[in-house]
Amino acid sequence: MTSTTVYLLAASAVFGIGVYGLIVADHILRKLLALNMMGSAVFVFILTVAGVTPEGPDPLAQALVLTGIVIAVAATAFALALMVRMFQETGLTSLQGHDGDD
Amino acid sequence: MTIGVLVDVLLALSLVGLSLQVVTGRALFRDLVLFILFGLLIALSWARLGAPDVALAEAAIGAGLTGALMLMAYRRLAAGGAADVSPARRRPLLALPVAALAGILVAIIGLSAQGVERVPDAAGTLVLQELSATGLGNPITGVLLVFRGLDTMLEMAVLLVALLGAWAVLGAAHPGRLHQVDRETPLVSALLTTVAPVTLLIATHLLLVGTDAPGGAFQAGAVLTGCGVLLVLTGTVRPRAAAGLLTKLLAIAGLAAFALIGVSALALGRAPMTLPGMWAVYLIETAMMLSIALTMTLLFARSRALGPEQR
Repeated sequence: MTSTTVYLLAASAVFGIGVYGLIVADHILRKLLALNMMGSAVFVFILTVAGVTPEGPDPLAQALVLTGIVIAVAATAFALALMVRMFQETGLTSLQGHDGDD
Repeated sequence: MTIGVLVDVLLALSLVGLSLQVVTGRALFRDLVLFILFGLLIALSWARLGAPDVALAEAAIGAGLTGALMLMAYRRLAAGGAADVSPARRRPLLALPVAALAGILVAIIGLSAQGVERVPDAAGTLVLQELSATGLGNPITGVLLVFRGLDTMLEMAVLLVALLGAWAVLGAAHPGRLHQVDRETPLVSALLTTVAPVTLLIATHLLLVGTDAPGGAFQAGAVLTGCGVLLVLTGTVRPRAAAGLLTKLLAIAGLAAFALIGVSALALGRAPMTLPGMWAVYLIETAMMLSIALTMTLLFARSRALGPEQR
């Protein structure tokens, strides 16, 4: 088993775990944590399947991932701003509202 | 199995273990810290995969910046009286099978993609072949600024939109409430006088070597943001109610520099987004670094502008 396969399998597992976290999480911060972990898993995935050149992993894939990391943090920052504002307005930190108290 | 693969297996297991902890943990603060650790391990695995540019970006942006943003948001919720421990979570019956299927699907796609033979003229190979024509030594910087310049320019637009969106939902901000660090303690002043200049130095270094070695505008911008975060947390700069001309100009600097140079190529009879020379690369990268650092610091501080304390 090569290193790339090891990381590919880890990325798949983390992606699945992220999906689980996204579904079961109530707190928006937790959902964002899960989403970000899924994102990281996808980035590792891209790099492991892109193939290698003599000078390391495919440079195009690396640039793609680099762009993705920056977009992810921008989206996360905006989501966090939305969350804080929603908390200020409603006092809620989850998307379920009050009726889901079980 | 060599030592290298053993390290990879250990790293991979740690990644999976940490992500499980983050998802199933009970205390939100602890899970936020574990998430930052997860990001650092991801950065390590990129270093292992031979992608130091991405590793640098992940360590600075993915782990550092995202972590700082999340911790700050957590603190804002806590300051507003939100419960520390997250409420009981739902456990839908289908969550586990759906998650397992998603993971298996990704693994199957990846394993079959790894089996596909690489075509000789893949885009990445072409990049390496044509790199010498750009005058750049770092193929990733080459892709970001020369081969796929439009993507990078639009990425700056995404950052700008995120900032505008955050401003739109800012609401009644409470400036002056979050910096509770006592600047009089020797540790904080030492931190400011040593770490702040050093981050400036590291950022400049990353920006300049980015043309030939791992580094570049994004990594440099993220490190510079670290400096900004430090200044915000210690109250050295305070949130301002309205953005001045300088703030607005700096926020659009990266996008504007890229667009102006890209379009001006048309006037010279070249294809749009063609860069006229190395000076353009440095100019665009510097503008991008400043824009990224300002945008992310403002997002962190949740304010429209920052400035020295007004007495």
